[in-house]
Amino acid sequence: MTEQTVGHHSDDLDTTSLAYSGRAPGHAEMAARAHRFGVWYYAETVLRTMRAFIVPGLLNAVGLPLLYIVAMGLGLGSLVSGGVGRVDGVDYLTFVVPALLVSTAVMSMSGEMTFPIMAGFKWMRTYYGPAATGLRPGQLATGHLLAVIIRFAIQTTIFYIIALMFGATQPGWSVLMVPIAILAATAFGAPLQAYAASLEGEGFQFSFVQRFIVMPMFLFSGTFFPLSVMPVYLQWIGWLSPVWHGTQLARAASYGAAVEGWLIAVHLLVLAAATVAGALLARRVYTRRLTS
Amino acid sequence: MSERDLASVSPGRTGGRGGVLAVLERGFTVIRNQNWMILVSGFFEPVFYLLAMGVGMGMLVGEVSGPGGREVTYAAFIAPALLATSAMNGAFYDSTWNVFFKLRFAKLYEAMLQTSLSPWNVALGEILMALFRGFLYALGFLGVLAIMGLVTSWWALAMVPVAVLIAFGFAALGMGVTSFLTRFQQMDLLNFVMLPMFLFSATLYPITVYPEVVQWFVMALPLWHGVELMRQLSVGYLTTATLVHVGYFLAMTAAGLWLTTRRLRALFLR
Repeated sequence: MTEQTVGHHSDDLDTTSLAYSGRAPGHAEMAARAHRFGVWYYAETVLRTMRAFIVPGLLNAVGLPLLYIVAMGLGLGSLVSGGVGRVDGVDYLTFVVPALLVSTAVMSMSGEMTFPIMAGFKWMRTYYGPAATGLRPGQLATGHLLAVIIRFAIQTTIFYIIALMFGATQPGWSVLMVPIAILAATAFGAPLQAYAASLEGEGFQFSFVQRFIVMPMFLFSGTFFPLSVMPVYLQWIGWLSPVWHGTQLARAASYGAAVEGWLIAVHLLVLAAATVAGALLARRVYTRRLTS
Repeated sequence: MSERDLASVSPGRTGGRGGVLAVLERGFTVIRNQNWMILVSGFFEPVFYLLAMGVGMGMLVGEVSGPGGREVTYAAFIAPALLATSAMNGAFYDSTWNVFFKLRFAKLYEAMLQTSLSPWNVALGEILMALFRGFLYALGFLGVLAIMGLVTSWWALAMVPVAVLIAFGFAALGMGVTSFLTRFQQMDLLNFVMLPMFLFSATLYPITVYPEVVQWFVMALPLWHGVELMRQLSVGYLTTATLVHVGYFLAMTAAGLWLTTRRLRALFLR
């Protein structure tokens, strides 16, 4: 190979000359690093592909909170103040915003953990290249999840700042709503990732997830009204839903909603358990699928 | 099929109604073979909304002033709006995402137009498929309303054809707009029209909560006319405004059909 052909991607990293310069570590060292930091390597890859959609992404991150706060908080709020007045001891906007913050994070998960996962295995096959290197399949699973978490951390922070600007919450403990929303989103996203990875073909499954899990989760989780006003036979949807557990925590953080100590522990435990179980399951499914 | 058979089939299919029927036949075959479960599941979306918002929010809100200033329950207030919205969504997503895929990836229309089908046949056939879906959902939803005791007038029966009219307007326009789009990311922009339209078209609360300037803006949106029309029919309160709402959708449908046919012709028969 001549010098010219080696350097033909002048703007890319020229790995060959880097290796011969003695600055790049050897293969063994590279493999060891992949084993150690593989999750971060893959997360970086995913984040870099997401960068292509940064403009619509930001539009979403800023536009959705604005729309929801104005329509639900102010519009619906004016009806509520003409009806019962205050909800849970606060005005409607204050009541609804922690729920909107949590539920938009959880609902966005369904977009990130369905079609992109299937693309990785089936349509674009983006998992197979890295899987052939020193990266382990489990690291791909966790790396992908990590990238999505980082993305939602940014998105939720933007939502939080907008909520502050609207006076829907006061600075202070309310900042905990950001990690709470991310935890709730992960508690839904990790099991969904495992499920999406286990699917062989695209069928009606994702539409069903959207219609029979995501939508009801949004509507029946005490998002727009306290869960207790629902008939008992519909309340169980909330108990199962990460949106409800996250929302209760977020309400406690935002305006000090009265949630008993043991219930806070239950909410945290449910969300953490779903996250860990989902992540472990996803690692197993990835490993089975990428090494067979 | 022998050459003679083909010769006897082709002339009948050239343009005209035969062409539209062929497009419809293909649509129904796809539903039967592949996606009837997705089709049926779409019915549940407005029902979930009605259950959650109507029952839950209803407890917080109490009564709201409906058409003609009459007080109605919150569930009765939002139910017609949800029917209009589901007609819009069903038809619009059918004629945007679905059409985009067929246009840019499956190259289905290119193939169709290689036959004796005309752009008008393809456009009308696809739009009629979207209407069929809208019709099914409207029928199902009206049944749910009747069971929940939210129907108080015989005029409510007219909500089914009106749902089809709303669907017609959105499907025709949606397909025309889609023909201008070339990338998936641009499709996301459509959500940025549809979601605000749903949230702000006096669907979940009366238009009077807005300042007057905003009210005029909302009244320019098609969904608002659909919502008002449905709301009037649900209680049988008809005024001259009813005609304006119907007229809006007739005009929208005509404009959409004209645009879509012209665009398909421009795209494929240059």
